[in-house]
Amino acid sequence: MFAAKGIKARYRGSVLGVYWSLSNPIIMTLVYSALFGTAFASYYNHSVTNYMLACFTGLAVLGFFSNATSQALGSVVGSGALLNKIYLPKSLFPTAVVAANAFQYVVGTLPILIVVTLFMSHSLVNVVALVIVSLSLLMVAMGFAYLLSAAFVFFRDLPYMYELVVFIMWITSPIFYPAELVPAVIRPFVVLNPLAVIMSSVRQIALSGTTPDLSMMAASFASAGFWFMIGMSVFVAARKDFMDLI
Amino acid sequence: MLRIAFDDVSLYRRTQEELSYDLKRLIFRTITRQYVKPNRRRVLDHVTLRIESGEKVGILGTNGSGKSTLLKVVCRILTPTSGRVFVHGKIAPLIELGAGFESESSVVENIIYYGMLLGFSRNDMRQRTKSILDFAELHDHAGEPLKTLSSGMYARLGFAIATEVRPDILLLDEVLSVGDERFKMKCKERIQRFWDDHSTIIVVSHDLDFLASSCERVIWLDAGRVVAIGPAEPIVRSYYDSVHSIERSQPAVASAPAPPLAAPPSSAAPPAGEPAVEAVGVK
Repeated sequence: MFAAKGIKARYRGSVLGVYWSLSNPIIMTLVYSALFGTAFASYYNHSVTNYMLACFTGLAVLGFFSNATSQALGSVVGSGALLNKIYLPKSLFPTAVVAANAFQYVVGTLPILIVVTLFMSHSLVNVVALVIVSLSLLMVAMGFAYLLSAAFVFFRDLPYMYELVVFIMWITSPIFYPAELVPAVIRPFVVLNPLAVIMSSVRQIALSGTTPDLSMMAASFASAGFWFMIGMSVFVAARKDFMDLI
Repeated sequence: MLRIAFDDVSLYRRTQEELSYDLKRLIFRTITRQYVKPNRRRVLDHVTLRIESGEKVGILGTNGSGKSTLLKVVCRILTPTSGRVFVHGKIAPLIELGAGFESESSVVENIIYYGMLLGFSRNDMRQRTKSILDFAELHDHAGEPLKTLSSGMYARLGFAIATEVRPDILLLDEVLSVGDERFKMKCKERIQRFWDDHSTIIVVSHDLDFLASSCERVIWLDAGRVVAIGPAEPIVRSYYDSVHSIERSQPAVASAPAPPLAAPPSSAAPPAGEPAVEAVGVK
């Protein structure tokens, strides 16, 4: 109910809004391709198109995550006026923000990824796997949404720090550069970035044209489950103090 | 039937200076070993009370004595630090529909939204919309964005919704102070009708005459303690006397001890000068 309200509020009077949100990853893909497409094409079977697809899938994953989490960050504090008037479950607010973004992902980004997947793999199995891996992305976003919205109640300077965190997650995810460029010594640490794990699984499913790699999907869910549990338990532990500070 | 029971309820809240906490200061203080545990202030102090269904109870006390906090505990917004709270039935807190609502959406949409937040279904609220608008006299503004209403209109709308949904427990916090005379009359009439009903009403008000005339029982709070609880008129009178005797005898001292009470107090009068702020090692 509440998520529906959020979606409605965002797209009041504009169905175009959902598709407008796609303009960001598309434009960024074009920019990256123009800058690095030719330089990195050799890593992508000498095809700039492959580079563009890799770029777009990476940006789609990152875009959903960073939008959902940075909007969720202020959701509990922003609802302070309401929370001080009526009793409502506090997890409602970050959940609603992520749900609204998930809706946008499902109607905007996911169809494009599905078309790409069908085109590359000619297999419905890959489409199903794509949808399943998207769930792990949703879990990571939920985990971070809970964690951030709870932490923001106590630390009001969090948005500046979180900008830095998103930047680190963006730059350590192989979005516009091939993963092979990262030195082998550093590569194990990239696993700490849940987005990099999910991204490589999404690309394997959507772009490689081979059958889904179950171990990569499992890695996505392991990392997603970890962050979800962290976020959830921090939120549950902290929420009793929320009302004193908002 | 028992509607509300407080069993030795105390509530500590963090003090306001905490609001300026941020991550960089926390890190800095931890490194320099200056970290202090957050202070907590006692807002409710061993409150015990029982309210039966159908009772109309008033709460009075000076500003900051814990009146609104008590209501917030009743509607679960705040959870007590110790003690037990029992509340049975559907609660509608009377709120102004201003902050926290969708100020860009129409008045009707907000009526439905508020109703749903209170736990009523969308259809249910749609059916009640007309009579809510009738009572609030806002038919002319039904389609306008909420933000175009005046503050008096916000209050009228809030009152109309909270009373229209017929809750088991209605909480009124200082609401009759807004709105014009005519609307105030209308509200009091409606509250009176609730009186005859089996609804339980808790009113926080500084309008002593109103409390004395329309409440059966009154709770007198001071610094989070129940000073007295019982029949409305004697308590309202002794509260009035105590406020005025402080003014007459010691105009300069703000924290004067409460004078002896006319009504039999249910708990001891607060010892004078006890600091309300104390650090506790919770968390």
